[in-house]
Amino acid sequence: MSSVLWLQAGACSGNTMSFLNAEEPSVVDLIVDFGLELLWHPSLGMELGENATKIFRDCASGERDLDIFVLEGSIIKGPDGSGTMDVFADRPMIDWVTELAEAASIVVAIGDCACWGGIPAMAPNPSDSTGLQFHKRERGGFLGPDWRSKSGLPVINIPGCPAHPDWITQILVALATGRAGDIALDDLHRPQTFFKTFTQTGCTRVQFFEYKQSTFSFGEGTRTGCLFYEFGCRGPMTHSPCNRILWNRQSSKTRAGMPCLGCTEPEFPFFDLAPGTVFKTQKVSGTIPKEVPEGSDHLTYMAHAAAARIAAPAWSKEDMFVV
Amino acid sequence: MTAVDSSAGSVDLFVSPMGRVEGDLDVRVTIEDGVVTSAWTEAAMFRGFEMILRGKDPQAGLVVTPRICGICGGSHLYKACYALDTAWKTHVPQNATLIRNIAQACETLQSIPRYFYALFAIDLVNKNYAGNPMYDEAVRRFAPYVGTSYQKGVVLSGKPVEVYAIFGGQWPHSSFMVPGGVMSAPNLADVTRATAILNHWKDNWLEKEWLGCSIDRWMEIKTWEDMQAWVNENESQYNSDCGFFIRYALEIGLDKYGAGCGNFIAPGTYLEPSLYENPTVEGRQDALIGRGGVYANGQHFDYDQMLVSEDVTHSFYSGSRPLHPWEGETDPLDPVKSREKGKYSWAKSPRYEVPGLGRTPLEAGPLARRVAAGAPNPGSHQDSDPLFIDMLAKLGPSVFVRQMARMHEAPKYFTWVMDWLSKIDLQGSFHTKPAELENGKGWGATEAARGALQDWIVIENGKIANYQVITPTAWNIGPRDSEGTLGPIEQALIGTPIKDMEDPVELGHVARSFDSCLVCTVHAYDGKTGRELNNFVINGMV
Repeated sequence: MSSVLWLQAGACSGNTMSFLNAEEPSVVDLIVDFGLELLWHPSLGMELGENATKIFRDCASGERDLDIFVLEGSIIKGPDGSGTMDVFADRPMIDWVTELAEAASIVVAIGDCACWGGIPAMAPNPSDSTGLQFHKRERGGFLGPDWRSKSGLPVINIPGCPAHPDWITQILVALATGRAGDIALDDLHRPQTFFKTFTQTGCTRVQFFEYKQSTFSFGEGTRTGCLFYEFGCRGPMTHSPCNRILWNRQSSKTRAGMPCLGCTEPEFPFFDLAPGTVFKTQKVSGTIPKEVPEGSDHLTYMAHAAAARIAAPAWSKEDMFVV
Repeated sequence: MTAVDSSAGSVDLFVSPMGRVEGDLDVRVTIEDGVVTSAWTEAAMFRGFEMILRGKDPQAGLVVTPRICGICGGSHLYKACYALDTAWKTHVPQNATLIRNIAQACETLQSIPRYFYALFAIDLVNKNYAGNPMYDEAVRRFAPYVGTSYQKGVVLSGKPVEVYAIFGGQWPHSSFMVPGGVMSAPNLADVTRATAILNHWKDNWLEKEWLGCSIDRWMEIKTWEDMQAWVNENESQYNSDCGFFIRYALEIGLDKYGAGCGNFIAPGTYLEPSLYENPTVEGRQDALIGRGGVYANGQHFDYDQMLVSEDVTHSFYSGSRPLHPWEGETDPLDPVKSREKGKYSWAKSPRYEVPGLGRTPLEAGPLARRVAAGAPNPGSHQDSDPLFIDMLAKLGPSVFVRQMARMHEAPKYFTWVMDWLSKIDLQGSFHTKPAELENGKGWGATEAARGALQDWIVIENGKIANYQVITPTAWNIGPRDSEGTLGPIEQALIGTPIKDMEDPVELGHVARSFDSCLVCTVHAYDGKTGRELNNFVINGMV
């Protein structure tokens, strides 16, 4: 049995809502079948009265064993480092986070906000938000670059806005069933098993990408083409399993005609949503994508694209996702 | 930990984690002779989304505002999109309106059971009710994780948002609604699967677990007497979760407190596709299917967004007078220092200029919508439903009536969604490319599961000059205004009887009946001795 304490700092609860969509295991399965001991969660369970604050205090002091501390939401340091823009159970949340992170065997950051600051940390960052161990792509964040939990691990980052429920539940089950050793992390402390692949891996539009055939409008226009060329899709540059492990067991943004916004990467929201950057591919010389797929360069990309367009079969210019 | 008022004979409760959607809520309560006599609700977290949006791409709100609240993210997207539609004067094909309606309603259908079982019903098994003859049955059904109804309700709540994902790619946090329509164009199997998923949800939760009868039978209920007769009509209805809840709620007195201000705001939602192909601020209310309206002092008024303003007298922001959101400001202050000036919350106080009454706090939420649906002179395309006008007249507002208003929407919206699904013209258009105007003003509104949700946008020189969001939680938990008038939840807490000072579950019922998305911490003080009796945390949806 593993004990879990889940708190929300500068959060929207999107990761919790996502978590509640889980099946195999569902939240109920995790607790009833896998014996996960959810000590407290903002939207689950029923500890009232003295109990909740006592749980936080006992976990922080070490009186009660805390195996996994899950944090959702940004670390709010404002104003002036006081943390009083986010007060929880009578104290700045940063005080709880400091103590609970020290006390827990493993610390898990769920969602972009807890991983690297997320949308609250976007310019001008009014709440002085940051992530647990990263600020955007920069190492450090709230706990510092060298921080390690009691078990010797850095903060495990499960990014996304929100994180997919399976990325959360399968990691919790892995930790709860003694498979922590199988969780290999990448440079950004993300479990590789989920984040080695690209969002584009498994995208139903990948054949259009192969032949450089674009979608030209939303709505019925998305019955054909790839969203990379005109609509700013970040699928080829973003690491996630969104098209391997579908959302709500049904679909993904790119399958439904929505460009990937790159929300598992620390720069999300990209370009700080400056005018002209939302749902629009940034280009050089008016036609060439400013960013090309990871590992490629402009010259190689253009040569490949020219050849691909010549090779494009007739069907790649027609609607594919038809009624 | 601060006692508010230590005058003799009174006891102060200070409530911090209570349940959440947009951060944390602290509630301080003064108690005299076992009854709440005053209350202060304090939103305890600030992220500054309106400041973040300033100077950004006009469409930034489609990405940013859903992240204000992950439980209502689809509702945020829906109104952010209409704010742009009105600012850019777009054309929205009828298919796109249908899909926006379906997605918005599916988010609400998700919220209804998830909220009821995961948040509200767990208080029904509080040990304070252990002596009640119905208690064992309540525990069997509603106990967290192991209750038979809890398991089904919480797990099946994920089904309606599978339909959202079919059209929007994922839930929560899609941005698939864009000015001029939607990004997706469904195919045949998308629509048939969506229909099948919703039928599964209806068969396995809505009719089987919750109602114990058909949707049609439930929708025949027009009065409080009809509802009572429905409970006793047969064993299936009597023993359904709904039948049991009605009986249990009356048994433990949930109809006796939590009245609130008794005045309501609903901008309304769900647009009739043929009446809103060219969205305008002025044309919106007549095009609504789920009607909007304001109800104050027993009178119905048409809803007019120009009459909304926000007051920051007791909020941690600078500002000297109430402002309409197009002129609204968000300039945060140091919360510790500004407490000395009597400020106590990160929520602003939204107010509505009711003709003849002046700026008035109004309750947002399902009960407000149900009251609006009972107003006279509905259009032929509009919801017209007398049930909650009748229940308010006979029972008055309370925790129970608010709760029933929310649950009544499940069968109603299910029926609407099925109708909208059947009307999608798969061969038709789903998006009209808009002209991205350099300048403009827009307003978008909807009804999130928990009530009125609205954006006001000002676009200048191709970027956002001002963006203001008023959430239902702000309407409900907002603090006192410049007149000292209490916000709706502050008012609703007053008069609540507290049986057990060590475990004031009644406060949880009241706060949770508004389904405000905040976690709350509670502290109890004995006013006579200043001794802290109690502090506790009530969780909720953030």
